[in-house]
Amino acid sequence: MHATLCDLMMDLVQNSVEANATEIELTLTQAQGKVEFSVKDNGNGMSKETQDKAVDPFYSDGKKHAHRRVGLGLPFLLQTADAVGGKATILSEEGRGTLIQFCAEAKHVDLPPVGNVASAATMMLSQPLAGDLKIVRSTDVDSYTLTRGMLADVLGDLNDAQNLTLMKTYIESQEENLEKTGTSYE
Amino acid sequence: MSKLTLDDLRKLRDEKKKAMTQRESGAGKRGVVTIGMGTCGIAAGAKGVFDAFLDEMDKAGISDISIRQTGCMGLCFSEPTVEVATADMPHVVYGNVDEETARRIVRDHLAGNALVSDHIFDKPSVDIIEKGEK
Repeated sequence: MHATLCDLMMDLVQNSVEANATEIELTLTQAQGKVEFSVKDNGNGMSKETQDKAVDPFYSDGKKHAHRRVGLGLPFLLQTADAVGGKATILSEEGRGTLIQFCAEAKHVDLPPVGNVASAATMMLSQPLAGDLKIVRSTDVDSYTLTRGMLADVLGDLNDAQNLTLMKTYIESQEENLEKTGTSYE
Repeated sequence: MSKLTLDDLRKLRDEKKKAMTQRESGAGKRGVVTIGMGTCGIAAGAKGVFDAFLDEMDKAGISDISIRQTGCMGLCFSEPTVEVATADMPHVVYGNVDEETARRIVRDHLAGNALVSDHIFDKPSVDIIEKGEK
């Protein structure tokens, strides 16, 4: 199981990238005692049959690694939801895209911590991507939105180490602001 | 730290860029560091490694190396894996890279032109080579 919810989100976004998505939207909301996140993409999508198989940890489509017999991304998500009495849903249509949603009570003792949002977001936003990735992060009282396009416009090369450090600093300041505005998840 | 706006970010970027061009002659990128970010890489701590690379490169003042992410490189057993390709050194895949190893790679490999020998994997796993992929 992944150590943090950010790790789960990174995994799902990586799936979207590998599904040739050009528009990806990640939302992360901590409000009203719940933690919710979703990843929506316009990538290849999955048929009903593939969706059923994708939740099996011993299934991989074999396209990327021919002899691979495991695929743990989605199973990790379902396992986490299951362990905390939460809910994870997969909605997908072949040729149109995929929407994955996760919801759990923030106070559940077995819920992994959210993790370092700033560094996870920096990694996700700097991935090679033909289109755009949008991240919407919100709490009870405030929110912020990041898009790859917006950050590339300001910073330029998103694989430049200095630009990535600046991006992380920028996102950290947004996170600090969310904390300051008084929402406590503890 | 107060909440930064995009304009603040733009200013910070211009300042950094100015400092950088003063230091260097505007040469292009010397190489690229690629970090595996598949399920296996993430589970093994790729995020911390990514942070360590950014931090150590910032400290060392290295600005001519790009950082990229990729999915699973087929070396799940040795995650986090990091590929380092620079013009003046052999291309190397490092395995079992924790945060301290990442810092060593920056100091020794990127800055010092010396391989971090105890973490080298010289080739991807067989199923990838057969398909002719990297």
